[in-house]
Amino acid sequence: MTNLIRAELQKLFTTRLWWAMALVMFAFTAFGLAFLIAQAGAAPANGQPGLPALDDPAWLPLALSFASGANIFTMILGIVLMTSEYRYQTITGTFLTTPKRGRVIAAKLGAGVIIGVFFAIISLLFTGIVAITAVLIGGGSVDLAGGRIPQLTLGVFATLVLYALFGIGLGALVRNQVAALIGGIVWAYVIESILGAFPALQTVGKWLPGGAAQALMNIDFETGLGESNLLPAWGGALVLVAYALLFAVVANLTTTRRDIT
Amino acid sequence: MTAIEIRNLSKSFGAVRAVDDVSFTVEAGTVTGYLGPNGAGKTTTLRCLLGLVTPDSGEALVNGQRYASLAHPLNEVGAVLEATSFHPGRTARDHLRILTTAAGLPATRPDEALDQVGLADAAKKRVGGFSLGMRQRLALAGALLGQPKIFILDEPANGLDPAGIQWLRGFLRHLARDTGAAVLVSSHVLAEVEQTVDNVVIIAKGRMIRQGTLAELTGNGAGAVRVKTKDDFAPALRAAGGTVEEVEAGLLRVTGLDTEEIGRLALDQRVLITEVIHERSDLQSVFLELTGEGAQS
Repeated sequence: MTNLIRAELQKLFTTRLWWAMALVMFAFTAFGLAFLIAQAGAAPANGQPGLPALDDPAWLPLALSFASGANIFTMILGIVLMTSEYRYQTITGTFLTTPKRGRVIAAKLGAGVIIGVFFAIISLLFTGIVAITAVLIGGGSVDLAGGRIPQLTLGVFATLVLYALFGIGLGALVRNQVAALIGGIVWAYVIESILGAFPALQTVGKWLPGGAAQALMNIDFETGLGESNLLPAWGGALVLVAYALLFAVVANLTTTRRDIT
Repeated sequence: MTAIEIRNLSKSFGAVRAVDDVSFTVEAGTVTGYLGPNGAGKTTTLRCLLGLVTPDSGEALVNGQRYASLAHPLNEVGAVLEATSFHPGRTARDHLRILTTAAGLPATRPDEALDQVGLADAAKKRVGGFSLGMRQRLALAGALLGQPKIFILDEPANGLDPAGIQWLRGFLRHLARDTGAAVLVSSHVLAEVEQTVDNVVIIAKGRMIRQGTLAELTGNGAGAVRVKTKDDFAPALRAAGGTVEEVEAGLLRVTGLDTEEIGRLALDQRVLITEVIHERSDLQSVFLELTGEGAQS
């Protein structure tokens, strides 16, 4: 199984996609952080909520939570890990080498965990360096062990790993690469955003992967839309684990029996 | 043990019966040509054999086992299915490295296999820039990684230039004669495999039409002689015991007499003949006749 997981990681790291994703991720996170730094300490106005100032202890956890925004990229990598096999018909060689298809799926999910952890590390490092620098320049003090930061860090890891697995499950279900990518992005950016943003809809949204990840990170900052309605942190963790298992089962069922023609 | 054994194999896709009750075997040390027009069911048969397609009924076994139950498939079977199964952004060596890693083979195998197929110089090039012929060679390199004793090749000559086809023939012969491998190679172009194969299995519309050695198949219908003459030669040929068919004015097709007998007869009768050709029944015409493709041409 170790060999198979290594082979799956080689598949990712021998094409150019992964570092393109990493670059876009840095740009994406930098954009969000730039906004957060520029607006730090802004007072509520025109119905827009205010943001904590740079020297406010609440600012750093909020900035660090942006690291979880990389979930979209681990999801894309997960989708591609599965669908590029069908797009380029490399699935034939994969199944000829490992005819027990369940083992291929298990290896892909294992590789998904490693990809999630890898991207969580580089995303947290990047966000951390930028955010801590901003806090220090803004005259605040940094306490990484305090507040919600350890839990938040764990939440970033869980989110990025989970979305990689979600991508693999989605890719196994929808083998057309373009369709799977569009479906995944619409899901993460549109459906989850809507169901997660409005407290009235969070009764549904809190059970989705995005809502569960929010619960785990426990980021409830005042959005001006009312009180957040999230699961407790342990509940969020359980929901995430249940999704990971569901994706694994879906990936397995849809792949092991189909004819490869 | 029989290297490849296909027993009463059938597979339908929807209403189309792609493979219909096909049975044949391939022994070690021989090359078997699996021949038929496009869409005859060759690829489906091979995919059943490799565990990629589940047959509706019957069995397809390698070394007496189903492919999916082999513990180390790349060490037992080398397969070339289609020359398009590569990620265009990956280099030739990386493509092979991934298979090598997954199969737990020594890390030296990719370069050795590339060397064997004459692609060593292109090892670090991305497959996207490869010609069809180079992709075929790369696919073959993938089949060689585990140094197997059974080879299953689907139209491996597709896209090869004449020199490449020449090389492939030699290579397949080398695998069978020198390493004792069992080789099953499909093709819709007979000329590609005619000089290489020991045995032939012919399939059309999913059904097996003929199986035998090359000699058995080409032996049928041998012995006809075409004679060109403007003189009235037919009566003399008939009198000498030949069966004569006038193909067109001035062209006779004679059976029952050989070229020497016809030549002597012409000399005796003072008949001028301008051409005497022994009609060798080549595999191509047998093939066209058997698969019903000859009717149109």
